[in-house]
Amino acid sequence: MIGIIMFGVALVMLMLGFPVAFTFGGVALFFGVFAEGMDLFAFMPFRIMSVMQNTVLMAVPLFIFMGVVLQRTRLAEQLLTSMGRLFGGLPGGLAISTILVGALLAASTGVVGASVVAMGLISLPVMLAHKYDKRLSTGTLGQIVPPSIILIILGDVLGLPVGDLFKAAVWPGVVLIGLYIIYILIMTRLKPETAPAMPEDPTRSRKQEIVSALLAIIPPLALIVVVLGSIFSGIATPTESSALGGVGAIVLALIYRQFSFKMVWDSAKDTVKVTAMVFAILIGATAFSMVFSYTGGDYILEEWLTALPGEQWGFIILAMLVILILGFFIDFVEISFIIVPILAPVAEAMGINMLWFAILIAMNLQTSFLTPPFGFSLFYLKGVAPPEVRTTDIYRGIIPFIAIQILVLALIVVFPEWFGMSSTY
Amino acid sequence: MRWIIKLDEGLDRLATFCGWVACLAMILMAANVFYDVVARYLFNSVSIGMQEMEWHLYSVVFLMGIPYALRADGHVRVDVFYARWGDKAKAWINLIGAVIFVLPFAYLIGTYGYDFAVDSYKMGESSGDPGGLPHRFIIKAVIPFSAFFIATAGLGMITFALRVMSGEKSYEVEHSAGGLA
Amino acid sequence: QEKFTLRLAETWGPNFPIFGEATKNMAEMAEKMSDGRLRIRIDSSNKHKAPFGVFDMVKAGQYDMGHSASYYWKGKVPNTLFFTSMPFGMTAQEQYAWFYYGDGMELMQEVYEPHNLMSFPGGNTGIQMGGWFRKEINSVDDLQGLKMRIPGFAGEVFAEVGVSPTNIAPGELYTALERNTIDAVEWVGPALDLRLGFQQIADYYYTGWHEPATELQFLVNKKTWEKLPADLQEILRISMRTAAYDMLIQSQHENAQAWASIKEEYPDVQVKQFPEAVFEAMYKANQKLLKEAAEGDELASRIVASQEEYLKKSRAYTDISERAYLNTMAEVE
Ligand code: NA
Ligand code: NA
Repeated sequence: MIGIIMFGVALVMLMLGFPVAFTFGGVALFFGVFAEGMDLFAFMPFRIMSVMQNTVLMAVPLFIFMGVVLQRTRLAEQLLTSMGRLFGGLPGGLAISTILVGALLAASTGVVGASVVAMGLISLPVMLAHKYDKRLSTGTLGQIVPPSIILIILGDVLGLPVGDLFKAAVWPGVVLIGLYIIYILIMTRLKPETAPAMPEDPTRSRKQEIVSALLAIIPPLALIVVVLGSIFSGIATPTESSALGGVGAIVLALIYRQFSFKMVWDSAKDTVKVTAMVFAILIGATAFSMVFSYTGGDYILEEWLTALPGEQWGFIILAMLVILILGFFIDFVEISFIIVPILAPVAEAMGINMLWFAILIAMNLQTSFLTPPFGFSLFYLKGVAPPEVRTTDIYRGIIPFIAIQILVLALIVVFPEWFGMSSTY
Repeated sequence: MRWIIKLDEGLDRLATFCGWVACLAMILMAANVFYDVVARYLFNSVSIGMQEMEWHLYSVVFLMGIPYALRADGHVRVDVFYARWGDKAKAWINLIGAVIFVLPFAYLIGTYGYDFAVDSYKMGESSGDPGGLPHRFIIKAVIPFSAFFIATAGLGMITFALRVMSGEKSYEVEHSAGGLA
Repeated sequence: QEKFTLRLAETWGPNFPIFGEATKNMAEMAEKMSDGRLRIRIDSSNKHKAPFGVFDMVKAGQYDMGHSASYYWKGKVPNTLFFTSMPFGMTAQEQYAWFYYGDGMELMQEVYEPHNLMSFPGGNTGIQMGGWFRKEINSVDDLQGLKMRIPGFAGEVFAEVGVSPTNIAPGELYTALERNTIDAVEWVGPALDLRLGFQQIADYYYTGWHEPATELQFLVNKKTWEKLPADLQEILRISMRTAAYDMLIQSQHENAQAWASIKEEYPDVQVKQFPEAVFEAMYKANQKLLKEAAEGDELASRIVASQEEYLKKSRAYTDISERAYLNTMAEVE
C-alpha cells in the first residue's frame, strides 16, 4: 500500500518542476525511512555499484558522445537535410529520414536511452530549424523498435533462445517503421505546415540536387555503417561499437576540417551533462523501486496477477493490459523480472506459443518507455530538447506513435501469422 | 549577502571541478574502449585490467557528472507549470527541493557509501578475474565522493536561489535548462 | 514459542532454474519442519540488485542469509576460492565426503569466521562442461590468443596456457560468440547452457576439467545463527544440507534431459575432449598457480594440502569403484 501512495505523491511532486531524478530519490527517501528506517538506504551503494558494473549501459555516454560530435561538427545536420532533400518537394522528408536513421541506431545499440538521446541530439535541432512542428518533431523520436536489450532479458526470463527472439522481432519492427512513415506521410498531407518540405535550390536541377545530396550523405552514413558493421562482423560488441562511432565521428571532423581540441572538450562537456541527467534518473528510480519492493509492493502486484482469468484470449488481453498499464509506472526491467515470471507458467500451461508471447511482451514493454508519467524516453527527450520544447509538447507529440505501437501489438495478437508466428504450438 | 555570493561562487567552482574530472574521464573512456577493440581485433590481445578500466572510467563520468549537472541545471524537470512561473517561485522550488530532497539523499548515500568503501579497503578487495584491477576500494570510494559533491551542489542550489530572490541573479540568464549548445 | 523470519538474498534472478529451486526447497523444508516457527523470505537479484554483494550484505546483517558461490568472493577474501570447485579437483561425491567427513567444513569455517559469517554447502551442479567452442582445439597452439569468456581461477589457468580470458556482459555473450567477437564461452552445463542458446551457434562442446563439482553455498550471518534456539539451528542445518544434496540430483536429471534434447535438435553439436597435451599443459599451470596461492598464506597452504591429500586418498578408491564400473560398462556396451 505504501508503494502506491508513494507513486501518487511522486506524481504530484514531479509537477512542481524540481529535477525528476531528485524528486524520485527524495520521495523514496521519505517513504523508505518512514516505513523501514534509515538502514534501508544501506542498500543504495550496492544498487549504484550494480549500475556502475553494468557495462551494457556504458553505451549510453559513448553514443551520446558520437551524437554530440556529429551535431557540433554539423555532420548530422548534413546527413538529415541531405536525406530530406532526396524526398524533393515531399513534406516530412526530414522526419522520415530521422525515423530511418533512428531505427538503424536503435537496432544496433539495443539500449533505449542511448539511441533516443543520441537521435534527440542529432535531429531535434535540425527539424526545429526547418520549421517543423515541435510536437511532430519530438513525437518522431518516440518511434522505437523492440530493442535487443529487452529481447535478451526476456530470453533469459522465459528460457527462450535469444537468436529465435531476434528473428521473430524483425517483422514487427519492420511493420512498425513502415507505419511510422505512413503516419508521417498522412500527417504532412493533411497539415503540410507541420513538416515543410526542404526548400529547393532554383539554380540547380533536380538531378544535381540528388547527386549532391547523395554525396553529402555518404560520410556520416559511412560512420553508421562502421558502427553497425563492427557489430555484425564481430569486431566489437554493441557497447564497444559506440566507442568506434565516437572515434569515427572525430575522424570525420578531421577530414572535414572541423576538428579542434576545444570541439572535443566541449563535446565531452555536453556528453557529461546528458549522461549525468540519464544516470541521475536511473539512480533516483532505483531508490524508488527499492522502497516500492521492500515495502511489499512487489507482493501486492503478485496478488493482482494471480487473479487473471484462466482462458486463453481473456488471459492474453488482460495480461497485455496489465503490462501496458504497469508500464506507465514501472520500468521495464522490473516488469520483466517480477511480472513475466508470474505470467509465463500460466501461458505455457495454456499451450500458448512462448515465442509469440515473448514478442507481445517486448512490443508492450517498448511502449512503456514512452507512456507518461514514468516514461524514461520522455524524460531523456526533454533533457536534450531545446528550452522552447515543453514537457506537454512531448507528451502530446508521442501520442500518435504510442497509438501505432498499440495497433501493431493488437495486429500481432490477432494475426500472428502475418508476422511469421503462430499463437499456439 | 556578500558572504552568500562568495560561498555561491566557491560552490560553483567545486561543481566546475567535478565537471572537469568527468570530462577527462569521458575522453579517456572513449579512448580506452577504442584501444581495447583495436588491440583485440588487430593484435588478438586482451587485457582484463584494461576492460575493467572501462567501467571504472564510465562510473566516474556519471558519478562526477551528476553534481556538475545539478549546478549547470542539466537535470530534467517536468516543466508543465515550472516554465510559467517567475524567478521568485522557481527560487523557492529549488531552495525547498534542495533542502528536503537533495541534501538528505546525498547524506544517506554518503554515509552508507563511506562504510561501503571502507569495508572494501579493510578487506583489501580486488577484482576476482585473471589480470583484473586491484584496490577496488578506490572506485567504490567514488560513491561517497559523488554524494559529497552532490551535497555541495545542493548547497549551491540554495545559495543561488537566495541570490535570485535578492534580485541579483536570474534563472533565464545563468541557467539555461534543457538544450545543450 | 518465538517465531523467526530470516531474510535471504540469492545471487540468482527470480525463478532461476535449479539454483533458485535449491533455495526455495530449503526454505520450504525449514518452515514445515519447524511448524512455521522458522520462515525464510527469499529476495532474488531483481530485488536487491546486488548479485555479487551477497557476501557484504549478509556480513553487515542487511540480510540474515545468502545463497551464492564461495569463489565469487575471491577478490575480497582470497581463501574463499577453495570451497566451490577446483580445476582437476574432486568430484561431487568426493568433495561432499571432504566437506562432511574430512576437514572441509572446519577449514571453510576458519575462512568465513573473521567476517562474522558461516558457510554451508548449498547445492552442486555436478561436473561443469568445458565450454562451447566455435573451432576445434587440436593442440596447445590452437589455444594461443583464443578469446574465451571464462572467469576466475580457471581463467587464470587458461591464461597460463595462452588463452585470452575476456570479459563480456552476460547480455552480450550470445551475440559476441555468434559474431566471433569471442571464440569460446564457458557457462555451466546442458540444462543452463540450453537457455542461452549456445548450441545454435557453436558446434564443439568440450568436456569439463575446470569445475568438476561446483558447490554453491548458503551463507548465514553469525549473529542471526546465535539468536536461533538450538532446535531451529538444527532444522536450518538439515534443510540446507538436504536441499544441497537434492540439487546435485536435480542437476543430474535436468542435464540429462537437456542433453538429450540438444542431441536430438542440434545433431551438428559434437562433444569433444581437449587433446592430452592440452590437459597436461593446463594441469602443470594449475599446479603452479595452486603453489603460488598457497605460498605465504598459512591457511591457504593448509587448505590446499588438505584437498590434495583427500583427493589422493578418495580417488584411489574411486578408481577401483566408480571408474572401474564405468569402464566395464563401456566395454560391455
Ligand atoms: Na512508462
Ligand atoms: Na561455470
